[in-house]
Amino acid sequence: MSASPVTDAQLIARCVVGDDRHAFAELVRRHQSAVRACLRKLTTGDAALADDLAQETFVLAWRNLKSFRQDARFSTWLYRIATNCWLMHARKRKEELLGDRDDAIPDDDHDAMSHLTDTAVDHTRASTLRMDLERAMRVLSEPERAAIVQCYHNDLSHEEAAYVLGIPVGTVKTHVLRAKQKLKVAMASWNPEAASGTAEGAA
Amino acid sequence: MSDPGIPSDGAASADWLDRVLADDARGHAADYLADDGFTARVMQTLPAPVAPPAWRRPALMALWGVAAVGLAVALPGTAVEVARETFRLFAAKPVTLYEIAAVLAIAGLGSWTTAIFAWKRA
Repeated sequence: MSASPVTDAQLIARCVVGDDRHAFAELVRRHQSAVRACLRKLTTGDAALADDLAQETFVLAWRNLKSFRQDARFSTWLYRIATNCWLMHARKRKEELLGDRDDAIPDDDHDAMSHLTDTAVDHTRASTLRMDLERAMRVLSEPERAAIVQCYHNDLSHEEAAYVLGIPVGTVKTHVLRAKQKLKVAMASWNPEAASGTAEGAA
Repeated sequence: MSDPGIPSDGAASADWLDRVLADDARGHAADYLADDGFTARVMQTLPAPVAPPAWRRPALMALWGVAAVGLAVALPGTAVEVARETFRLFAAKPVTLYEIAAVLAIAGLGSWTTAIFAWKRA
């Protein structure tokens, strides 16, 4: 007879009632990959920063586990904490940059845009696409990037994304729409219609 | 994405980007990030458990003892009277073996029901 797997809710109950750290370790093991991947996407590939933020996310989750009402999935709740951690970090970084040198803020947007057309020939199509998408994501504002990551990367519904981001559903839709418009410009070289149009023009 | 209700400026032109984003998400979903000591690092960072000081329990018991003695000293007649009346109440009413068995059965049933209810809720 195989033992039924312990659910997240049961593990959370053990943490809350019995201060069970082994149960929390199991929760971390279960969700670390998803949370770290989500943060890597938000930090546009900065793995070290993503892992630091993921660590902060789980510590905050442990501290606030009693306030988790189970009205959302545990993973969604973790995404919410992770996104808040990333937004706080981004805000702090922006303030530091503004304080240090007002006129020398690196213009990542233009930099990213200018590099998008330079496709490395020695990479496979999939990895090039992934890299281009990562660069294109830098063009987006933080709320737009967060909305795209939650809706596509984490496969959440607009309602769930609204819960994670702490904003109304309509605002999520607006962010997604704007983000996609920007991404379409930044990733224009991947548009099959444009590519076929260019080929026809050349012929 | 589970909720495809995004207004677009042209469904056809948005399709290729949707595909790109979905492919990328699928690729990431397939790439499971190995733990590599991450969980251990998180567990080390957790705040230490807050244990009550060792002196708390004996101190509380001493305080309750002092309060009980204080009450008995302040109201000497009352404590004796309550004890005497309680004894008389039980001694005056003979209890049969059947009554004891019934009380035990009811108590057992009650505790099992509570235990099953608590287990189901957990």
